Amino acid sequence: MKVNKRAKRDAKQLFHLCLVNRLLAENRVRHVVQRVVTAGRRDGPAILSHFRRLLRLDRARHTAIIESVTVVPADVQAAIEAGLMRRYGPHVTTTFAYRPALIAGVRIQVGSDVYDGSVQARLTALEKSF
Amino acid sequence: MSNLLMEIEAQIAGARTAAARQNVGSIRELGDGVAKIEGLTDAMLNEMIDLGDGVTGLVLNLEETEVGVIILGDYTQLKEGDEARTTGKLLQVPVGKSLLGRVVNVLGQPLDGKGPIKSDISYPVEKIAPGIMRRRSVDQPVQTGIMAIDAMIPIGRGQRELIIGDRATGKTTICIDTIISQAELNKAAEAAGDSSYRPLYCIYVAIGQKQSTVARVIAVLEEAGAMPYSIIVSSAASDSAANQYLVPFAGAAMGEWFMDNGMDALIVYDDLSKHAVAYRQVSLVLKRPSGREAYPGDVFYLHSRLLERAARVGEKYGNGSLTALPIIETQAGDVSAYVPTNVISITDGQIYLETDLFYQGVRPAISVGLSVSRVGSAAQLKAMKQVAGQLKGELAQFRELAQFGSDLDAKTQAQIDRGKRIMEIFKQTQYRPIPVEVQVAVIWAVQNGYVDRVPVPRVRAFQSTFMDFLVTRHVELLATIKREHTLSDALKAELKTVADAFTQTWT
Repeated sequence: MKVNKRAKRDAKQLFHLCLVNRLLAENRVRHVVQRVVTAGRRDGPAILSHFRRLLRLDRARHTAIIESVTVVPADVQAAIEAGLMRRYGPHVTTTFAYRPALIAGVRIQVGSDVYDGSVQARLTALEKSF
Repeated sequence: MSNLLMEIEAQIAGARTAAARQNVGSIRELGDGVAKIEGLTDAMLNEMIDLGDGVTGLVLNLEETEVGVIILGDYTQLKEGDEARTTGKLLQVPVGKSLLGRVVNVLGQPLDGKGPIKSDISYPVEKIAPGIMRRRSVDQPVQTGIMAIDAMIPIGRGQRELIIGDRATGKTTICIDTIISQAELNKAAEAAGDSSYRPLYCIYVAIGQKQSTVARVIAVLEEAGAMPYSIIVSSAASDSAANQYLVPFAGAAMGEWFMDNGMDALIVYDDLSKHAVAYRQVSLVLKRPSGREAYPGDVFYLHSRLLERAARVGEKYGNGSLTALPIIETQAGDVSAYVPTNVISITDGQIYLETDLFYQGVRPAISVGLSVSRVGSAAQLKAMKQVAGQLKGELAQFRELAQFGSDLDAKTQAQIDRGKRIMEIFKQTQYRPIPVEVQVAVIWAVQNGYVDRVPVPRVRAFQSTFMDFLVTRHVELLATIKREHTLSDALKAELKTVADAFTQTWT
């Protein structure tokens, strides 16, 4: 879908209206979407498309994805969560996932920050160094 | 042995590897050599981005939710959703003397099949130009070996002299002549063991040129033995616009190394019109707002920051220099177009080549009236100043008077006749630079009326024979002019004796 500058600007304004203390308020998001849909604006779909993208990026910034090859023990999970909260604040939600391609170790991604302690990453780094 | 194994086991057990933080994004959009990447919140402007598969990108746009990256290399294997990582490094190219004699691409990788380049020093492609306090004024000449330039539009080391003209008017030839001239001077100084001579190394940057043109330039330089003192940096017409946009900056980085290390270098940008077009293409694909002739608003800054990197630095900073000879191709002689006016205003003068003169057989087709060197006269050899000081004025008068055909007084007719002969003297065969001491002797002969009696069609033959006469029989006189840099009364008397002897024998 072609999203023009005006739709982008409007979507950005709507997104900022949904923030309370720099955090997304879900009820506001639902309200905004409903209002845009009912308003029947011609560029409504474009606005909502960009609005959705902004939401996705915001969600990614506040979500930590922890990938490992085996199930992470509960105490280690708690330690990881505590560490992430210290660094990124209390509003980070954590998701644990299983990824055999890592071979061994853990990979954590929060937004565009990646902490890769997996064997796969080290092998890739080794390959590059040659 | 068991102790050793235990030690190793203990070290393995105690080894801790920390997972370093990386900044990662994913490709959202890809096409035309440009990628839009989501994430990469830590990306810096002009930072290199690792796109995987050995492909590198360069950050040009920083936006709220994504970064715009130009891709250097083959991007056909990349796809939407692929990971991209920041590297924390700015784009760098290898620099140093090991590049001399080589043909390289925008990343400093060899294109000549002569094996890898052995250089352990790299310079960033984008670098801030030397500031005011580091600079000193231009006071050493660049001997181009082209008589019309050395006499009337002298270029100094550290100067930026634009070469402008329509297509096929001899712009590149002037630059190649200059490179050959430097190689000859460097070789002569090496052979004579002259340690006071500062060799001038040359860098030829081909931007959007045909591969055949670049191959021809290489062949000419190799034939003239100029390659050992030259570097060729090429981004041909078939390369991506991103590579063409970056290649002059890569060449400038290679030249700056010489300047920073107390040496002199000369860089030819062939040509900046194509460079502006490549930058326009990159900017449009990056969806930057366009201005006049669809060029982006910062096309002036593009060329000013490139050409400002040419400088002569002070003694305290090594006394090095980087001279720039940018080339601009005009359309139907229109110097008032956007990019030509920009570059004219940035440089310290211009050599304007005219199509009409070229087809009249005046080669190099330099238009004396429109060409100017704003700082080079301070660097001109004193001997050349003594003999050529009046030349530009005389030629200007000749152009004015040549319009009147008949009923002229004797003085005016003499001026016209002198002008015609000077025009002939300034015609020169390509790739054959003339040493400055020979130029001084020839112009002295013209100024002292030795050519006035020679019929105009025979002036070139007279000049050629006189030069041979000087080079073969009066080497010592030429060496004295070269050594003393000025024409003393004794030297003038000796020149007179030589010129008299020659005119008596010449038929």
